[in-house]
Amino acid sequence: MLQMLFTGLICGALLGFVMQRGRFCLTGGFRDMYIAKDNRMFYALLIAIAVQSVGVYTLIQLGVIEFSAGTFPWIAVIVGSFIFGIGIVFAGGCATGTWYRAGEGLLGSWIALIGYMLMSAIMKSGPLLPVNNSIQSVQFSNNSIAETTGLPVWIFIAIFVTIVIVILINERRKPKVIIPTMKPKRTGLAHLLFEKRWHPFFTALLVGMIAILAWPLSEATGRMAGLGITTPSANILQFLVSGDQSILNWGVYLVIGIFLGSFIAAKASREFRFRMPDAKTGITSFIGGITMGFGASLAGGCSIGNGLVMTAMMTWQGWIALLFMILGTWTASYFVFVRPNMKKKLVTTNQTILNA
Amino acid sequence: MQKTLDVLGQVCPFPLVEAKEIIEEISSGDELVIQFDCTQATESLPRWAAEAGHTVTNFEQIGEATWTITVQKK
Repeated sequence: MLQMLFTGLICGALLGFVMQRGRFCLTGGFRDMYIAKDNRMFYALLIAIAVQSVGVYTLIQLGVIEFSAGTFPWIAVIVGSFIFGIGIVFAGGCATGTWYRAGEGLLGSWIALIGYMLMSAIMKSGPLLPVNNSIQSVQFSNNSIAETTGLPVWIFIAIFVTIVIVILINERRKPKVIIPTMKPKRTGLAHLLFEKRWHPFFTALLVGMIAILAWPLSEATGRMAGLGITTPSANILQFLVSGDQSILNWGVYLVIGIFLGSFIAAKASREFRFRMPDAKTGITSFIGGITMGFGASLAGGCSIGNGLVMTAMMTWQGWIALLFMILGTWTASYFVFVRPNMKKKLVTTNQTILNA
Repeated sequence: MQKTLDVLGQVCPFPLVEAKEIIEEISSGDELVIQFDCTQATESLPRWAAEAGHTVTNFEQIGEATWTITVQKK
């Protein structure tokens, strides 16, 4: 119990700290691929996946941890991930992003988080459980890409790592723009930890290493999985209303750790402040949280559980979920950012014509 | 000439979306001062300015989770 509390909190705090300092935002990353034609954060995610994949499969090979890919509930994964992708745009961050922004004092993220926890609990142990179960019952028996194809998993890891290396080389060849930075007010370790801008690829490397660390720490407490956000978030609410201590697990302490780690990072960097959104943003955040909780519960994972972990484990669920959550993000971005902008431009052009 | 854009309280990507719009309205050489409190914008605003070829003449944290950046239009 004490070990679970300690290692879970530490692992979560590391993740929260790194994500806050590195501004690691997957929602923004997926969105910017479409609205800003900027793939940088997506590439960062691929780096984190590659690092984790190599690390975790090495641990499996050494017999340190166990992993079973399970079945592939394909309809639930496709539909759920798409809905999740829409939800994160309205919530202003994915599940993890919302946890760490809550630690920065953004009350809009607290609101999104409440909606997310509520809907996840409704889907996982509440009135929508039968719906969730029936959609998830449509499945393929094999989730592992290696088992389906009959090829060793290391071939897929090698191909993927090669792709990531090629991307990195291409990125390095691009003409460098110097990003203006703030004049440093601190020195030494304080500057590096609480002030300096972290390169997204460096942050990704750290996220990948924390994701590896999560596996043995979690499995030591009997929870046979790596990083996960949705089920633990639902577990918090389930525990709070039932008082049943058996619900508490490593993942619960992990997500609480993310919140604490981000708070520590933000506070020490003078980036913590309670910020209240206006009523409209507050409602959008709540709806986003509800949508995100519905989608992630159906898909069996969020941008971390499926997008970062199940991808690294080379499962169909991970990669297909990642594809559809990106498509969901793009669909919502079209309606939230692209279309209003086009309309505004149209109005201005019409006015100019009238004035002329 | 200097124009101020106050996007305090707005979360990403709105500070950037608004900055891109407003900079269209000012002339070359004029400055746009953006006041913001979205942490992620400390990454996205200077990156946008640099990539679009504008000059950043000032960029500092003015308080707890509050920043200001001045972009001179190219």
